Amino acid sequence: MTDDKDVLRDVWFGRIPTCFMLYQDEITEREAEPYYLLLPRISYLTLVTDKVKKHFQKVMRQEDVTEIWFEYEGTPLKWHFPIGLLFDLHASNTALPWNITVHFKNFPEKDLLHCPSKDVIEAHFMACVKEADALKHKSQVINEMQKKDHKQLWMGLQNDKFDQFWAINRKLMEYPPEDSGFRYIPFRIYQVTTERPFIQKLFRPVATNGQLNTLGDLLKEVCPAAITPEDGQKKNQVMVHGIEPMLETPVQWLSEHMSYPDNFLHISIIPQPTD
Amino acid sequence: MAEVEEQLPLSPQDGGRGECGEEPPDGGAAVGVSETAPPSAGSPVTEEPAEDTKKKIDVLLKAVGDTPIMKTKKWSVERTRTIQGLVDFIKKFLKLVASEQLFIYVNQSFAPSPDQEVGTLYECFGSDGKLVLHYCKSQAWG
Repeated sequence: MTDDKDVLRDVWFGRIPTCFMLYQDEITEREAEPYYLLLPRISYLTLVTDKVKKHFQKVMRQEDVTEIWFEYEGTPLKWHFPIGLLFDLHASNTALPWNITVHFKNFPEKDLLHCPSKDVIEAHFMACVKEADALKHKSQVINEMQKKDHKQLWMGLQNDKFDQFWAINRKLMEYPPEDSGFRYIPFRIYQVTTERPFIQKLFRPVATNGQLNTLGDLLKEVCPAAITPEDGQKKNQVMVHGIEPMLETPVQWLSEHMSYPDNFLHISIIPQPTD
Repeated sequence: MAEVEEQLPLSPQDGGRGECGEEPPDGGAAVGVSETAPPSAGSPVTEEPAEDTKKKIDVLLKAVGDTPIMKTKKWSVERTRTIQGLVDFIKKFLKLVASEQLFIYVNQSFAPSPDQEVGTLYECFGSDGKLVLHYCKSQAWG
């Protein structure tokens, strides 16, 4: 079981080397140097980029600065998606560092939610945690917790404190001894090629015959096009936290060990790179 | 109300007047044990075919606290409509000012993201063939 706990740490401490560059049409008083930062995979862009904002605001006039937003190769990056998900989905098979363009004008209202303060990020994060527990435990575990426990989850994430976070989060990963797992698995499957923002459905970790459902079973049920046809070539990569878990992995295990802090498994389906 | 209904992006169910006398669903319980969408056995609206191909889902809106109650509570909503779209619609219907806040809750426990699609929420949290959403002008369940 030591190995399993290591996975929790590996997930928590995953980082993506990123280069932030100011959009060329932004008005500056001096040339803007790029800003390099290791982004935590498990966090959110607007939570960890205060230094980026300060860096670029130094070369701009106050009146030219409105809400910051980020873009990668023309695609506005949704701050309310975890960073690791955004990277896996859009840039995992490109060379590092991840080049992100910073904007302070022309906020794309249709593509992005506003993020006026850290409170908004906290509210979004907690809503996801609550939604996940509604699926896992009919909200019983999250509702039994005190407000200070909820706060501790958020503070742990915000301050990058693994132990502080997991002291509370471990309770959200428990299930009654008579069951083999959660009621339903909180997951979202993302694909850039489809119209839908993501796929999320009810899926039990255990089949009616008592066998543990696997990642392959999940994909077959909710996203069969992602799975390689038996006679064909592997078309897609199924990625979580930058790796491709084996399709035989039980989803219950994935949910307990490779969920993001919001307790969701965010899974990217991306085209298989042709080396 | 006919001219108002034409402008609205949602379509009301059964004429729009009646009180819904429905019991709130058991928190978090999806009808049926399978992984498919909840059955619409009780749906009064249409005889549309299989859940997956049904473009609209049934939503029941419930007011919380002293938030004004909508005369029409049951609506047929496109699966792809977002929570933000629903918020805008309710605000217009209740004649709230745009700057007033409106919070929407699922299962009386969490507030979904504004860009969440109601179809996905129905799949995961619907019961008795409909998605019950509570709305409130102030934060009710955090």
